[in-house]
Order: sequence, then C-alpha cells, then structure tokens
Amino acid sequence: MSGPVSRNRRLGLAAVVAAVALLPALESDFQRGLDSDAVIIALLVLSVVVLTGFVGQISFCQYSFAAMGAFTVGALMDGHGWSFWLALPVGVTVAVLAGVLVGIPALRLSGLLLAVLTVAVALFTDRFLLVTGTWDGFSGGAVPWHPSRPSLLGAPLTGSYAYYLFALAILCVAVLLVWNLRRGRAGRVLRAVRDSELAAATVGLDVTAWKLAAFGLSAGIAGLAGALLAVRIGSVSPGSYDFLHSVQLTALATVMGVSAIAAAPAAGIATVFGPELLSGIAVSSTWFPLLIGTALILQLVLVPEGAVVRTRHDMARLARLVSGRRGRDPAIAEAAR
Amino acid sequence: MTVLLQIDGVSKRYGGVQALNDVSFRVERGRIKGLIGPNGAGKTSLFNCVCGVLRVDSGHIRYAGRDLHGLAPHRRARLGIARTFQTLELFRELTVLENLMVPVDAAARRGMLADALRLPRARFEENRAGERAHALLHFLGIAEVAGIPGGDLAIGIQRRVELGRALALRPTLLLLDEPAAGLDSRETAELAGVLSRIRERFGTTMLLVDHDMSLVMRVCDDIAVLDYGRLIAEGPPERIREDPTVVRAYLGESAA
Repeated sequence: MSGPVSRNRRLGLAAVVAAVALLPALESDFQRGLDSDAVIIALLVLSVVVLTGFVGQISFCQYSFAAMGAFTVGALMDGHGWSFWLALPVGVTVAVLAGVLVGIPALRLSGLLLAVLTVAVALFTDRFLLVTGTWDGFSGGAVPWHPSRPSLLGAPLTGSYAYYLFALAILCVAVLLVWNLRRGRAGRVLRAVRDSELAAATVGLDVTAWKLAAFGLSAGIAGLAGALLAVRIGSVSPGSYDFLHSVQLTALATVMGVSAIAAAPAAGIATVFGPELLSGIAVSSTWFPLLIGTALILQLVLVPEGAVVRTRHDMARLARLVSGRRGRDPAIAEAAR
Repeated sequence: MTVLLQIDGVSKRYGGVQALNDVSFRVERGRIKGLIGPNGAGKTSLFNCVCGVLRVDSGHIRYAGRDLHGLAPHRRARLGIARTFQTLELFRELTVLENLMVPVDAAARRGMLADALRLPRARFEENRAGERAHALLHFLGIAEVAGIPGGDLAIGIQRRVELGRALALRPTLLLLDEPAAGLDSRETAELAGVLSRIRERFGTTMLLVDHDMSLVMRVCDDIAVLDYGRLIAEGPPERIREDPTVVRAYLGESAA
C-alpha cells in the first residue's frame, strides 16, 4: 500500500482523468451540470472516506459541514460583496472549526452513540440554524443567497464546461493530497489509532489531536464541496443540505467501501447518474433511494468491505492468476512461524 | 548512581481492591530492575501508573527528577518512557515495519501539510523512519517478517515486535510487562540474551515484570517484590531468593 506507485498505474490514472475532463466537451449544458454535481458529491464522499475509512468514525452530518462552507460563502459574497476567492478559504475554515467542535464530544463516543450525535448535529443545522428567523445574516432568511460564479486568472467560470473543469481540478488535487496523507505518516498513525488507542498513546501519539485533525480535515473537504455547490447552483438554500442527503451520502460511501479513495468518484457517479439512468429506462427516479437501501443491505451481508474494495481485490487476484505469479506474503508468513 | 525512576508512596484503589498500597522504590539509571509478585499483586497497575494510563490516588512518581503527575501518556512516552503489554497490544493491521515506524512518526515535528504535499522533508523523514525500523528489526533478528501484518504473527514473534516498537521510541526507561508469557524455554533464553544486548547497545534502564524466575534471576540487577499491593522485599536476586517473606508469598506458592 505504501510502496512506490508504478509508472503504468500513473499513466492509467492520467488517461482516466484526461478522458473524464474531455468527454463533457461533447455534452449539453444540462449534462455538464450533472457532471459538476457528480464531482462535488465525489468530494463529499472523499470527506466520508477520511473520517470513516481512516479513523473509523461515523458521521451523518457531512452535508451540515458542507452547509457551513456554502452559507459562509453565500453570505460573504452576496451579503457583503466579497470575492469568491476570499470567501472560499473563510468558508472552509468555518467548516473545519465546526468539524473540530463536533469532534470534541465525539472523542468519547463511538459506533451507535457517535452516529446519534452526528444526527443531532445535522438536525440542529437543518431545523434550527438554517431556518428563517434564527440567524438570517448566515442563512439568508426568506430570500436565499445568490453568489455568482468567479473568474479564475481572468477566465470566467460561468460556462458549464469551464466550471466542470474547475471543480474536477479541485477534486483531483483533494484526492491527491488525501492519497499522500494516507500512504504516509498520517495513514499509518490513523490506522494505528484505530487498532489500539492504548498502544498508540504509549508510543507517544496524541490520539486526541489526531482524531480532531481527522474530523477537521473531513469537515474542511465537505465545506469545500459546499462552497463549490453554492456557486455551481448560484443559490444557497437549506434544502440542498438536508439531513437526508447526509444519510444517503454515508450509505453510498459504505456501499462503495469507505476504506478506498476510489469510492469517492464511484459514489459521485452513482448518486448523480443513478436516478438519470432510471428515468432513461422509464422508471421513476424516486426509486433510487430504495435501490441504494437494497444495495446497502446486500453489500453489508455479502461484501462487507465494499464494492470498490472487493472489485480491486478481485482484479488483483485475476492479474496474479493471469501472470502466473503466486503471492509472496503467505510464503514469508510461513517461514516466520 | 543516579536514580531514574522514583516511586514514592504510591497508592491506587479500584472499587474495593487496594491495587497499590504505599509502594516506594527506585530504579537506578542503566540497571535492570525486576518486579515480581503473585497474580494480582499490583505489578501491572504500577506500570499503568508510571506510563500514565492510570492516575495514582496518592504518592508521587518522579522520572529523571521530574514529577510525572498529571502528564498524559503520550507526553510521558516522549520523555522516554516506553512499555510492552502483558496482553499484546500490537497494531494488528499494520505491518511489522509500520508498527516500528509509528513511534518515530509520533515524534516527528512536521505538520500534516508537509505530508499532504509530500515535501522533501516529509519524504526524508519517512525514509529515515523506515531505515531506523529496519535496523531495529535486524537487531532483534526478525527482519524477515517486516512486511507481515502484526496480527498474523505467532505470539513469540508478536512479543518481539512489541519490544521493537518500544525500542523505536529510543526510550530511556523500558517497562516490560511479562515479556516471556507464552514463550517456550528456548525463546525465553533468547529473550534474556536480547535484553542484555539492548542494555549493552542502548544503555536502556528497564523495569521487568515476569513470572518466569529463570529470566528474572538471570537478567535483573535487583528485584522488588509486591504482594497484595505492598512492597514486601527489595534487593539483589540472591538475597530475594532466600528471603523468607518472599518465599512464603511467592516462590513457595509457585513451588507447590
């Protein structure tokens, strides 16, 4: 996992990214909008991968962190006339702070109780913080915020393709940074904390700080996604950051496998194009949540590690079979005994 | 000779059990001190108090002249106090090499951003952590298992890896909680050799808890004996072996 990345794999990845960047050039504006949504949801799933996949903490309030980013950007741009480029880092910072704040009580909780805590946070955001009358300076009140799309180095991001490329570039950078974290020290440390907090503390790890950092990083990525969504839609309203979105997000991330970064794009594509596909074959897209639910149940019973993880595992086994090489690890394990 | 660890009137009670009752002794720098006593005598409780996992009810623990009171376990680890566990606490999903890299990671001062961007410094430190871990695995004679997840190893090797993980911290004081438990007599003899080599090479001070008297008598410079949370005897191995109180409390029991 932490070994050097093979050249072939790098080339393969570059080819995939290039294809994903170029294909929408042939599409309609409406389709490109969906593509951007898929990218933004991939970013949100990435935030779940960081929290659940790396540290084993569960969250049903990722959309609330996204809302922190989105509403901060909306309020600062529309309400105070800020530039997007100034509002964005502030929005992400607010989301990080919210994540750390949720992380503090979460330090003493795990599993079911942590899930309940995050549901409470999501409902607090939905049903109180973002409701008209609570804090209109943040939520926008009766009239939603309308942040406009920025320009990047003089090029306006108002076009659907330009914006898609922008969002895709951000996703790629985020994936790269998270990937670097996971294959290096942070990944090792967080897995160690998940294995034994007691041992982790006695070798000098500040378990509290690392867990809070994971919460902050996860919430920051979600906040970034929220900010991107705000200017993608051009309007920030509470409905887009509903608690049920968070539930669906975590469900899909689980189906794909929270331990794999590749689950992020896979879940992004499934969330956006699943319903489209259904309407394409003349099934109401309201059936989509039912399909996710069914998939989740089947996956938990049959493939607990997640679809992406299983597929990758099977591909690796297939490659080994084809090339006729036997795995080395079992032999070494035998010799060690 | 200077005192590295000073246990001063330490008491600890859980519910109705007085795990430690006014225990005082000291460990001198560079020595290997044995801590023995029947099951439930309070040995592991004392370890937990020293490494900060448990809080003492009263008394003081001084390390290198500093009172450890209120200091979190990870801070004590950074001061050079390392330990192994009676019930193995290896990072089971991490490879053996990674297990030994984590203590180096914990001491690293670089921020997460350096890792995320894979700055040269992060790569350099990463390589150095790996090299140090490899060197230790060679020193302990378990280099061939470097790539295997800790949880997949036989008990004897897991104990050796835990020792390696503790050493990766470059400790001044090493607390060994029953390192010979589950080992056969050949492995125990090997362990005795390893402990002597550790002291020779790194000058590490050790506090050793074990039920295997052959190991304790062979490697320890002096021995403290706990019984029902009280210190009942202290002295060099030959004197402890003959001490009537100890024989009654401990050796008599195991001989029977």
